[in-house]
Amino acid sequence: MTELLLQALYSGLLQGGAYALIALGLALVFGTMKIINLAHGELVLMAAYVAYAAESALGWHPLAAIVLALPATGLTAAGMHWTVSRIRADREINSLLLTFGFAVVLTNGFLMLWSADVHSTSSAWLQDALVLGPLYSMHSEALSFAISLALLAGLWWWLARSWHGRALRAVAANRDCAMLMGIAPGRTELLSFVLAGALAAFAGVALYCHGVIQPALGGALTVKAFIITVLAGLGSIPGVLAAAILLGICEALTVTLASSALQELTGMVLFLVVLFVLPNGLFGTARRRG
Amino acid sequence: MALRNHSGVIASLAALAALLLAWGGNPYIMSITIAALMTGGVALAWALLGNLGGMVSFGHAAFVGAGAYVSALCTLRLGVPVPVGIVLGALGAALSAIVMLPALRLRGPYFALAILAYAHIFRIAATEWTSVTRGAAGLSAIPALPVLPGLDAKASACLLAGLLVLGFALAYRAIRASHAGLALRAMHDSEDATRVLGVNSTLLKGLMLLVSSAMAGAIGAFNAHYIGFLEPDYAFGAMWVTLPIVAAIFGGYRTLAGPVIGALVVSLADQLLFKEWLPIGHQFLLGVLLVAMILAHPSGLLPLAGNVLRRLRPGGNGKGGGHA
Repeated sequence: MTELLLQALYSGLLQGGAYALIALGLALVFGTMKIINLAHGELVLMAAYVAYAAESALGWHPLAAIVLALPATGLTAAGMHWTVSRIRADREINSLLLTFGFAVVLTNGFLMLWSADVHSTSSAWLQDALVLGPLYSMHSEALSFAISLALLAGLWWWLARSWHGRALRAVAANRDCAMLMGIAPGRTELLSFVLAGALAAFAGVALYCHGVIQPALGGALTVKAFIITVLAGLGSIPGVLAAAILLGICEALTVTLASSALQELTGMVLFLVVLFVLPNGLFGTARRRG
Repeated sequence: MALRNHSGVIASLAALAALLLAWGGNPYIMSITIAALMTGGVALAWALLGNLGGMVSFGHAAFVGAGAYVSALCTLRLGVPVPVGIVLGALGAALSAIVMLPALRLRGPYFALAILAYAHIFRIAATEWTSVTRGAAGLSAIPALPVLPGLDAKASACLLAGLLVLGFALAYRAIRASHAGLALRAMHDSEDATRVLGVNSTLLKGLMLLVSSAMAGAIGAFNAHYIGFLEPDYAFGAMWVTLPIVAAIFGGYRTLAGPVIGALVVSLADQLLFKEWLPIGHQFLLGVLLVAMILAHPSGLLPLAGNVLRRLRPGGNGKGGGHA
């Protein structure tokens, strides 16, 4: 039993690394533009399908597909920013509906291009077991966790130190004030969208390397990312990582102790509990919502 | 003025009667019309929450599914007559909305996704609670809708669906015209200012959630008896969310007739054209339609048509949209 629990904790930890990348993209855009991109999960899935296409049609290694996935999701995210920034009236409601429309378009686009079948990588090395004492994982899971941590650390440094990173935080904190300080908010918002797309590219390729993909998965990814954002509270990368790992571990424990059918339920219940009990999240600073 | 108040009702009844006279014997046209009317009912419920309550919901599938399961189980297990079952379905959906009331203090995306979380929880509950719902195997042989004398089953169901949606529209109009409706419309402009004037905004929004959920639940129950079969992925499916939202936005979610007219147009276009053009992934075009509407004219086609008519009319100044 102890071994099973340890294994669940370990799997949850690795899964949490991947979740953190997805959630961070959503949180960046939410920070600068105060909108939730309901098509964010579909961006991740788009990268996963690019990896699938590169592997099945071109014979590439799925990891090399990141070269194709980055421009694909980056450009799509830029296109989304362009349309979202054109909304004038009732921005809060209309941006939700607009990105919901994008999610429907992308999901059905994947369905048309790649059918409803589930796909996973055929690379043997990625799926081989990596044994660490009593703990097992696939090579791909450990690799994606390591890449996630590296990206998160890089992004943390960039947000804290670089001019653009600080500009992004300034726009998130106070858009008008940032404009007075000589920051172009429109360009910064575009940057946050493209950055979210780039993170989604890495997350999507990782998703394809260690899991199965199907067109309907995007919505679930968006919801997971939002759950993590709420858990973490706004404005902290370590918080996002911790919340993502918490969600990953809770899911893994549910699968181990109860049933895999309840995996999704865990996240939802965790989400509602945090929303009602700790509206500022586990790590966020107090701030009024809405 | 009295005639103007009733002209919409009379026109809807006339259109329904004409439809039955012309195509009452054609089961295909009847079934796509019934599907369109049910989409219209959910679209109206969604628009009521969006317009009067100021809240976007991506979880109306929760209410549709809850209403369907309550009615199906009551009629199957307890022998309740079908019309009573539909009323119980509506009440059951409203009851299920009570657990969502805490979500009302959330706004915008938080509310939208909290409701979505509830819808997922309901679907998983319906799948896992096999002793009552029979889980993914589904419920079959659900008692059928009563057939009105002189009509065949399809035409009768179509008439009943039309009357149900008309009843929703009348209830919506009554709420909008009431004191509460006035306060709700004021809240749309500034909720804080309305609260200062002594309006209990949370209570009113909660009532709108209950009314909206009861409407969606009644549609779900009606649909369960119409098709006679239920399973969780269908009853709580995403199509109960996508199609009504696109329909309401297309027609104009701040108007009374917009969601229903939008549902008739969008649902029929989806059935007759989109599925023809794109057998796989026909909802692609629904998504495109939604994106295009939000970018080009987010208040929908009905207000747009109103503006055009006003501009054409001599002496009209073309000002003011069709805002409710």
